[in-house]
Amino acid sequence: MPVFDFFHWDKDKGYTLAETGAILQVTVGLPPALEQFCLQKNIAIPTPVSGYALIDTGASASAVHEQIFTDFGVQPIDNILMSTPHTRDKFSFVYPAKVQFPGLNLSGEGALTSMRVVGCELKWTTFDDKEIIMLMGRDLLKFFLMVYNGVQSDITLAY
Amino acid sequence: MPLDTELATFKKLKAELLANHAGKFALIKGDDFIGAFDTPDNAYTEGVTRYGREPFLVRRIAEQEEVYRNQAFLLGLTNARI
Repeated sequence: MPVFDFFHWDKDKGYTLAETGAILQVTVGLPPALEQFCLQKNIAIPTPVSGYALIDTGASASAVHEQIFTDFGVQPIDNILMSTPHTRDKFSFVYPAKVQFPGLNLSGEGALTSMRVVGCELKWTTFDDKEIIMLMGRDLLKFFLMVYNGVQSDITLAY
Repeated sequence: MPLDTELATFKKLKAELLANHAGKFALIKGDDFIGAFDTPDNAYTEGVTRYGREPFLVRRIAEQEEVYRNQAFLLGLTNARI
């Protein structure tokens, strides 16, 4: 079982896990099928967007900043009902995406390169200048074992 | 809005799709049901092959509609500092 460690520390700010939450680097790009289509049609393939994903055990599915898809010209493929105690009947679009985690050397079923994600207005910058562009929900976390070490400001993921 | 027509088509065909393709993923373009696929990837690939960058629907065929639950995010608490 490959194990990956993410120490949350900044040279100026020290331990950062409690402030930022559990985050890891991510890139979001065109879904492979659309990438292939663009290649065949000689359409420029947009550069994948890099940022950070916040591990969110409270999220039933993963979400990505919606503007990324608008900029890519990727059309939604579905919609989904959003549920909170205060919100009813609000829908968000679902998009296809290629999601990769440079810090995780994933292969096989855990490669997770092609997936459905919810499009949301969620981009923000952490206090140590990391741009969050994704919430990594339980649809991805189901492949992992995770240890949240608040004392050592450290996250361990294994799959 | 994108997918309005496709979502209406899915709603219209839902009973029939449930009877014949429950658990699979439907590919719908406009008023047409194109097919049912084992994975969303397969449905999406077929959609791109046929329609390129045009909108089309890829939806799980299930009785219950999918719901996105994330209380912290939807309440604005994901990045709240107290």
